[in-house]
Amino acid sequence: MASSATSSIALAPESKTLRARLGKISRFLLRDRQLGYLFLAPALLVILGLVAYPFVGAVFLTFQQKTAGAPGTWIGLANYRELLNNEVFSLTVYNSIFYTVVAVALKFVFGLGMALVLNQERLFNNFYRSFLLIPWAIPTVISALNWRWIYDDASGLINNVLVRFELIDETISWLSDPSLAMFSVIAVVVWQGTPFFTMGFLAGLQSISKELYEAAEIDGASVLQQFRHITLPCLSPIIITVVMLSTILTAAGIQFVLILTNGGPADRTMIFPMLSYAYALGGAQRLGMGATVSLFFFPAFVILIYFLTRRMLQEKGW
Amino acid sequence: MALTKTGSQRMVKGIGNGVLALMLLWTAIPFYWMFATSLKHDKEIYGYEATLIPERPTIANYITILQDSPYLLFLRNSTVVAVCSTILSIIIASLGAYAIARLNFPGRALLARLLVCTYLVPGSLLFIPLFALMSALHLLDSLSGLTIVYLGADVPFATWLLMGYFRSVPVELEEAALVDGCNRITALIRVVLPVAMPAIVVVTFFAFTRAWNEFLYAYVFTSTNQAKTITTGLVNFMSADVFYWGPLMASTILSALPPVIMFLLLQRWVVKGLTLGAVKG
Repeated sequence: MASSATSSIALAPESKTLRARLGKISRFLLRDRQLGYLFLAPALLVILGLVAYPFVGAVFLTFQQKTAGAPGTWIGLANYRELLNNEVFSLTVYNSIFYTVVAVALKFVFGLGMALVLNQERLFNNFYRSFLLIPWAIPTVISALNWRWIYDDASGLINNVLVRFELIDETISWLSDPSLAMFSVIAVVVWQGTPFFTMGFLAGLQSISKELYEAAEIDGASVLQQFRHITLPCLSPIIITVVMLSTILTAAGIQFVLILTNGGPADRTMIFPMLSYAYALGGAQRLGMGATVSLFFFPAFVILIYFLTRRMLQEKGW
Repeated sequence: MALTKTGSQRMVKGIGNGVLALMLLWTAIPFYWMFATSLKHDKEIYGYEATLIPERPTIANYITILQDSPYLLFLRNSTVVAVCSTILSIIIASLGAYAIARLNFPGRALLARLLVCTYLVPGSLLFIPLFALMSALHLLDSLSGLTIVYLGADVPFATWLLMGYFRSVPVELEEAALVDGCNRITALIRVVLPVAMPAIVVVTFFAFTRAWNEFLYAYVFTSTNQAKTITTGLVNFMSADVFYWGPLMASTILSALPPVIMFLLLQRWVVKGLTLGAVKG
């Protein structure tokens, strides 16, 4: 439709050659196929260069011994062998799963609670909504730095308060006590990540028709029954999407561990992006080993990304 | 019956108020501590004279950070990288999204899928090969290098958001423009983009804050103050013991302001954008 409409425009060019040239240009511009590829070329270049190439490059790196700036040497499966024989790696696998599952579960529970509360009618609701979402808007690095200071052994907020009110005799090492460190880190992750769940769930709650609740009320359903039979089923699509997204981002997030504990004490908070970073850039620059660590976690991410992509495209009808 | 109903409703409301109060405290206390520390003298921060509320508030920490540190340089770097990567990704994404939403060509469904996939791939899976690539291209430790790698996350996301929006713009508007002598490019600029302004605002917010808040790439790909952004600069302040907590908290307050102000101004659109499929960790 477009090409016929536009080629008939009276351009009134002065000369024949000009008209021919204009015709050529507009024909070129109007053909969907060429134009489509032309328009998509920059985006495609970005995807290929900055996502696809590194993704494939990472796989190749795992078979190499390589430092930055120098060509790698092919060493077959040596990286894999070394990693699997390393005790830190099995601890890392366990830590990564524990960290991700506990953090996402807590974010889910708090986020749902917060969304349900914010969905109630209340004075100044807009203020609460804005305020509670701020941890999500600020840089994660800032949350991590702030919490590192809150946990500080000698003068941090928590020890300061506990000592002041004589609840403890000796200060607690929140980040360097092996049995506490992981939970201290998770608390920060939850503090920062809950608002994302709240926002998603609140949007979902607001789209549930009020009539459903009114009908349930007439039928004598209790508040809990209404939650169980109306709220949860209506919210479940958005729950699945948000949980999958958050799982990807939580599992892959490095900044909290890097800033709060650096993977310590005694590798108790060592999760896979941190181990990968430690190998690749923590001094020895063993890029191959670093990539091998990540590769073990590729399958989990690929599965999540595959299902999430399908959901997102279906939801929007692509 | 009616009585018990209102009774249970009142109870739910009461629980809600309690939960809300706890949530507000849980959210506010870290911010309070950040702010209070930034206004304290060292004496009130450490040791046995440490206080919970600043007794003699001071802005000395802010002056230290602004005058005796490269903070302003980091601020400039963050601004340059965030602004450039935002503008570039909006241009690239508008073209790409328009093509996918409007033009008929083989492979566009596949490309749509590819875009969503790539935007979900986390940076911590890619930073090592990217580090090798950037090192080979001599793009390490430069603002342009950082701007380019940020496109890797921003372009797929922005394209995904915009293509949904473009598709909702009535085709008739464009057809009218085409009849009136526009070609595809002028139709995109004069007709589709103005209508899609809300989506552009959302994309701007997400692209800008993502670049402003990004840490891993900035930390790995820069090494001198000339290229460090705020996030990596602050972490260096801490790990190298350049500054203690007073100035450090002053700088975190200053660094959090731009995204928070943007968020508060654009909140309504941002939440809408989020439900369209936008994310941040």
